[in-house]
Amino acid sequence: MAARSLRAHLLRMLLPPVAALLAVGALVAYYPSIEPATEAYDQALVDIAIAIGAQIRSTPTEYRLDMPPTVEQVLRTDRYDTIYYRVISPGGSDIAGEPELPPPLGDSGSYDAVFKGQKLRLVSVPTPCGRFACTVLVGETMVKRTRLAREVLVYSLFPEVLIALATLLIVWFGVKRGLSPLARLSEEIKARSPGDLRPIDAAASPEETRPLVSALNGLLEEVSQSAQNQQRFLANAAHQLRTPLAGLQAHTELALAQPVPDSCRAHLEHVHEATIRTARLANQLLALARAEPGGRGTPFEVNLKNVIEGEADAWVHQALARDVDLGFELENAPVQGDAPLLREALANLVHNAIEYSQRGGRVTVRTGRRGGQSFAEVEDEGPGIAPQERERVLERFYRVPGTTGTGSGLGLAIVREIAAGHGAKIDIGDAGGPEGTRGCRVALTFPHG
Amino acid sequence: MRLLIVEDDASLASGLRRILEAEGHAVDVTSRGEDAVLAASQERFDLVILDIGLPRMDGFEVLRRLRAAEKPMPVLVLTARDAVEDRVRGLDLGADDYMVKPFAMPELTARVRALLRRSQAHGGPRIVHGPLMLDTIARRAFLRGEPLELAAREWAVLEVLLAKTEKIVSKESIIQAVAGWGEDLSPNAIEVYVSRLRSKLEPAGIKIRTVRGFGYMLEEFKAH
Repeated sequence: MAARSLRAHLLRMLLPPVAALLAVGALVAYYPSIEPATEAYDQALVDIAIAIGAQIRSTPTEYRLDMPPTVEQVLRTDRYDTIYYRVISPGGSDIAGEPELPPPLGDSGSYDAVFKGQKLRLVSVPTPCGRFACTVLVGETMVKRTRLAREVLVYSLFPEVLIALATLLIVWFGVKRGLSPLARLSEEIKARSPGDLRPIDAAASPEETRPLVSALNGLLEEVSQSAQNQQRFLANAAHQLRTPLAGLQAHTELALAQPVPDSCRAHLEHVHEATIRTARLANQLLALARAEPGGRGTPFEVNLKNVIEGEADAWVHQALARDVDLGFELENAPVQGDAPLLREALANLVHNAIEYSQRGGRVTVRTGRRGGQSFAEVEDEGPGIAPQERERVLERFYRVPGTTGTGSGLGLAIVREIAAGHGAKIDIGDAGGPEGTRGCRVALTFPHG
Repeated sequence: MRLLIVEDDASLASGLRRILEAEGHAVDVTSRGEDAVLAASQERFDLVILDIGLPRMDGFEVLRRLRAAEKPMPVLVLTARDAVEDRVRGLDLGADDYMVKPFAMPELTARVRALLRRSQAHGGPRIVHGPLMLDTIARRAFLRGEPLELAAREWAVLEVLLAKTEKIVSKESIIQAVAGWGEDLSPNAIEVYVSRLRSKLEPAGIKIRTVRGFGYMLEEFKAH
């Protein structure tokens, strides 16, 4: 991901020019400040040469350096460097000093050379000797010059480095700050529920992110359009499928109410049973399609208690038909969601609980809040679901081996789909029935809020 | 009773007709909403079974026109869609009950019976439920033709349950209907009245079912 970081990318782009600017800046500051200092040191050497030159005595026959040792000592004393000198006669012969000290190559008054394996800075000063001129060379080691150069370099680099660091810091935090509208935007999108396809408020975002926002809104609009098309298709499919099934069901029931031969009756009963199963399957497939992201409506505040109260009538009749005692323990349980889907999920749980109950068994539907989270759960006294089956029963078309009954294996898959759409957690556990039955408790726990 | 079925699926319409005729009703069938509105304006029906998904004039529009013409008969809406907005819209427009296709026929006939019973009882001086008869003007009750003694509160609770036969009635709504202004009636008191009603009515086969944690439901009377 580092390669995709805008910040790292910007830094990588900025670093070479900043470094180059730093180098140029340092050089620009270095030479103007090192030159006067170097010149001053050279001047000191020239002064020494002049002082030595003043000690040359010339006669018509010879040149001689008449320098008392104390003077020489004073002249050659330096805190850091060793000072050498050489006096050459107009004829080119050595008069005094180190005869090995290298002369200048050209006419330049000051130059660098190597002497006894050390780098020296030298000056060459012509000194009048009678009618001619002697040459005085004075050189010194580079200790204080190197030191000076280093100091100048450090002092000129220091502010440059500070500026560079400041630049990088500004980029680092500036990018973060500059991108904070994007971060807010992504937070807003992240906080949305998967089914929420409303456009993002472009007016609330800064101008620079508006093209992004409007592109996103365009996409959302398309997605929501296609979701609506899908919903329309589903509504039509539902109608086309359900009406003939209702007719088929009516006619098989009518036929079964007639006096028909037993051989025929068995077939009719199969047809009738298959019709009811098909009808339920069609309903479940439609519910499953509706539970998928495109089918969800805008989430509203829904109280699970009210959802259940609205359905209780129908469920009680289902329960009565199977002689099951359906009861309720309802407390307020507000959630953000799609009421028809929540009703579908709960209806599936109640249907399963009734379906797998013994005659006279109890089924209890409970809602409320636990630890700041709303929940709904359905409990029965049926055979329960073995721990190793609890994951698999949520899969589409999976049925616990040995299960009888008319189920399609879709009910819990629908519940899982709807729970996922609401960010709710499904827990399947034992409820503990009488006579040692395992019983089953399926709980949906909704996110905080 | 005279029933009108408005359904464009011929197979379902004929099935419904046969089943309701078997229940002893006179049944007319039409497949078009316009015809249904016309028929209802000219003749008197005791109940209309109305499909929402009709071609051209849909069921919502038919319902709206029936109610605009102040036709009082109960309307049972059938729909192939389960979207809750449809249900709410239907009930807002004055539908009395609502069934999603496909449905089991016994459930349909039970709902038709309940709607007819309620509309007959509505506003009338006599409420009949199997062997039980309440004369609301004389405030006298009869069971199997014999006078039945009911305390005032028992009467009130029974009236609430009879008005919603086969529907769950919550304890709170019974309390609201039974308690006078400023009275404080506990849910336990309601339990007492219901248990007294049970001991008086159950020998005649009238059952009041307890729905745990919710309330009570007067079951449909089934003669044995």
